[in-house]
Amino acid sequence: MLKTPLILDGALHYGGRDELGKSVAQPYVETTAISAGKVEVRRSGKPVQRFSLERAPELQALLTAFSALLGGDAATLALYYRIDAQQDGARFTLTLTPQRADLARHLADVVVDGSGAEPRCFAFRQTDGDSSVMLLGPLAAIALPQPLTAPAVSALCRSAAP
Amino acid sequence: MPVGRSVTSPRRIGVAIAWIALLLALAGLVRRELIVGNDLRSFMPPARSAEQKLLLDEIGDGPASRLLLLALGGAPPERLARLSHDLVAALHRDDRFSESLNGETDLTALDPKLLPYRYLLSPTLDHAAFDAAYLRAQLEQRMADLGSPAADLLKPLLASDPTLETLVLAERWTPARTPPLREGVWFSAHDEALLLVQTRAAAFDPVAQHDAISALQAAFAALPDAAGAHLEISGPGYFGDIVSTHTRAEAEWLSAIGLLGFAALLLLAYRSVAVLALVVLPIASGAIAGLAATALAFPAVHGITLAFGFTLLGVAQEYPIRVFSHRRAGASIEASVGGVWPLLRLAIVSACIAYLAFFASGVTGLQQLAVFTITGLLVAGAATRWLLPVTLPLQFVDVETAPWLERVRRALDALPRPRWLPWLVLGVALAMLALAPAPFWQNDLAALTPVPPALLKREGELRAALGAPDVRYLLVLDGADDEQLLVLSERLEPQAEKWKSSGLVDDVDLPSRWLPSITTQRARQAKLPDRAALEAALADAQRELPFRSGLFAPFVADIESARTLTPLTPRAFAASPLGARLQAMLTRRDGRSVALATLGGVHDADRLALAIGAAGIDGGHAGLLDLKTASESLVASYRERIGRALGAALLLLAAAVALAFRDVRRAWHVIAPMSLATLLALAVLRACGVSLSLFHLVALTLAAGLGLHYALFFERRTDSVAEERRTLHATLICVGSALLVFGLLATSTLPVLRAIGLTVALGVGFHFCLSTQMARPRS
Repeated sequence: MLKTPLILDGALHYGGRDELGKSVAQPYVETTAISAGKVEVRRSGKPVQRFSLERAPELQALLTAFSALLGGDAATLALYYRIDAQQDGARFTLTLTPQRADLARHLADVVVDGSGAEPRCFAFRQTDGDSSVMLLGPLAAIALPQPLTAPAVSALCRSAAP
Repeated sequence: MPVGRSVTSPRRIGVAIAWIALLLALAGLVRRELIVGNDLRSFMPPARSAEQKLLLDEIGDGPASRLLLLALGGAPPERLARLSHDLVAALHRDDRFSESLNGETDLTALDPKLLPYRYLLSPTLDHAAFDAAYLRAQLEQRMADLGSPAADLLKPLLASDPTLETLVLAERWTPARTPPLREGVWFSAHDEALLLVQTRAAAFDPVAQHDAISALQAAFAALPDAAGAHLEISGPGYFGDIVSTHTRAEAEWLSAIGLLGFAALLLLAYRSVAVLALVVLPIASGAIAGLAATALAFPAVHGITLAFGFTLLGVAQEYPIRVFSHRRAGASIEASVGGVWPLLRLAIVSACIAYLAFFASGVTGLQQLAVFTITGLLVAGAATRWLLPVTLPLQFVDVETAPWLERVRRALDALPRPRWLPWLVLGVALAMLALAPAPFWQNDLAALTPVPPALLKREGELRAALGAPDVRYLLVLDGADDEQLLVLSERLEPQAEKWKSSGLVDDVDLPSRWLPSITTQRARQAKLPDRAALEAALADAQRELPFRSGLFAPFVADIESARTLTPLTPRAFAASPLGARLQAMLTRRDGRSVALATLGGVHDADRLALAIGAAGIDGGHAGLLDLKTASESLVASYRERIGRALGAALLLLAAAVALAFRDVRRAWHVIAPMSLATLLALAVLRACGVSLSLFHLVALTLAAGLGLHYALFFERRTDSVAEERRTLHATLICVGSALLVFGLLATSTLPVLRAIGLTVALGVGFHFCLSTQMARPRS
């Protein structure tokens, strides 16, 4: 569907068990706030979208897992995904494969690369071959490899910390 | 022995058996021919205004009142979700239900054949055009959507519908408030699966509602997984069903005890089993003849006619008792019956003349009541006069020889009878009427058959959880045709948003929410770009965005086909599930199109009514219909008619008695105690804080009919003390049995039974006391 992976530039805020914020600065501006089961999506020039997490069970599963990952809640995470972890010095790679059929229908896996306690990349690979990658922290500031291809971004995520 | 000159005992038994057989045969015939309607409308005064006409058509038939609210519980959520799914599938196959919802209906799945219509149905083109700028903004949004966790949900739509019109429509068609989904179906906060079911039958039709509810329960019980889980039903139709079942059960139970007591009383009084068998024959004949006459004269008889008719026919139960008590030792049956017949005939004929007043009311239900009651009384009287005497056993005890009877007679004679007493009673009654605390009339018929508060509370909870529409208020739109109606509805849409935002109402389900007018569809169609323009705009919009080229070919194709579609009419739309929903809102009346739109959560009915009233257009208008107020006003106007008819009946009765006596003084002795006792019963009820309803009026009429008998027989001049004792005997049996049967009803927990029982028992007591005081000749 897309010619290139979607590169989002922004920040994630984890505020506790059921509070998660995502703000995107590039290539569009959007902030998403999830708090106590309610989702608010703000895009520039658009009215705020508010909906209940319960209205979107698949979204809820995804975000519960996401939240569990950031909160270090392995037990909850294991409810939704099979976890493969690789450790190389300070760097780590977690491959999360969805366990539940409703999630697995569209999502092939989530690959999280990081260093120390900090996640640096979230790569969502979908069953139709599309993927989106989120670069966090120091990686977000560096120049992206050209041409921008999935393997190049993946290599960047796994490279030694700059 | 002069008794039974030519008719032997075996022949008497033969006649009785033939009589019973004839009654059974007639009853069978009537049962086959009689159509009992439950349509409240036949019991309402004829509608005068268009609004009243509409109300009569819709009362209890409004779409919201036909909703049943269901909750499934008692099993894990996954199993409940499966049950919910299977139950909806089962109900879809059942003709008794017009709609079954559990949250599963996928609104995004607009009938695939209608998919290109989304550009005509969605309001997007009202404020936008599919040019490069708009498409660019949309595609940027889609890119952001792809970066969000919701990407999976949108991807399947992207190629054919990049502006997400299917979602716009799904959002438009989603009720303002629906329960959260779990396992794909609606769930409450208490782990129950929730469903909304609409019956085809009107809420006021208890027979059809009972049928639908039984079918619903059977369908649930038949589901493979139903064991252990339970189905809870709520809603107006269900309440009507349980209340009428409960009322019938309690009435039958109390009547059974009353009848047993009545039988014991008769056995004690006449010491004859045969009398026990024969006593019911005149009234049964009257009832069956009354039913037959009503069935012949009218296409359908209302259930209320029957209930009121049987109550009023209760007077006829006295006829055979008068015959039994007045049999004289040494006289033939013919001579004994002949002695009381003139008075009995007077009572019957004057009652029939009185009920003629119901004919003048112009209300079908009351006219039916008149046919039933008059036929019933005449036949019961004729059967008492000409059939009963030829079936009575030859052996009998002359009741006047009982020593206790003479003691009672002496005691009554010894009572002081001051002439000022009736005037004092009149004064007290008037004072009680004047000072009574509660409102005079009870207009809310539902208050007489109340639904247990716990059930109402539960209904409120389920209604709120399901976001189900209000049962009391409807928005009524009318226009020359469907198109004008939809145009009016579209004009109301922005207003409805204002009503919602100012808190007057939570949701307004306008017909144009489901289908825009042809005018609007054409306007949107005219704004669709042709293929070349669209492809150019799309190429422009896609520049620098990461979408693959050619991705949106299905979108281009859909727009191309949308450009030449014939706009949808309600009739064409009706083939799809969503269109069926719209069709259910629309009716034709007097050559005009009328829509009944449901309202959710009405918070300020007065202001809403004003706002709606001000929103009409040329040739079409809108109005708020308050079913409760409207039906109460109808009940009030109906009661006014029945009250006037009864007043006229009383005057006719007095005139008939005076005419028969040809003596105003004697007529006064009969009419005065009867009228005063009726007034006193009314006053005591009022002083006890009772607000009067139709049921009280009918009960007062029955009591007055009985009181007429007491007064007539007490007033009867006779030079024999033995005959006086027989009169007293008959009257005491009549009063005793009426007090027993209706006194028992008065102990009921149900207000409607209490209303009838208490009123008749009070009335009978007062009629007896005042007749002994005022009607008996002074020695």
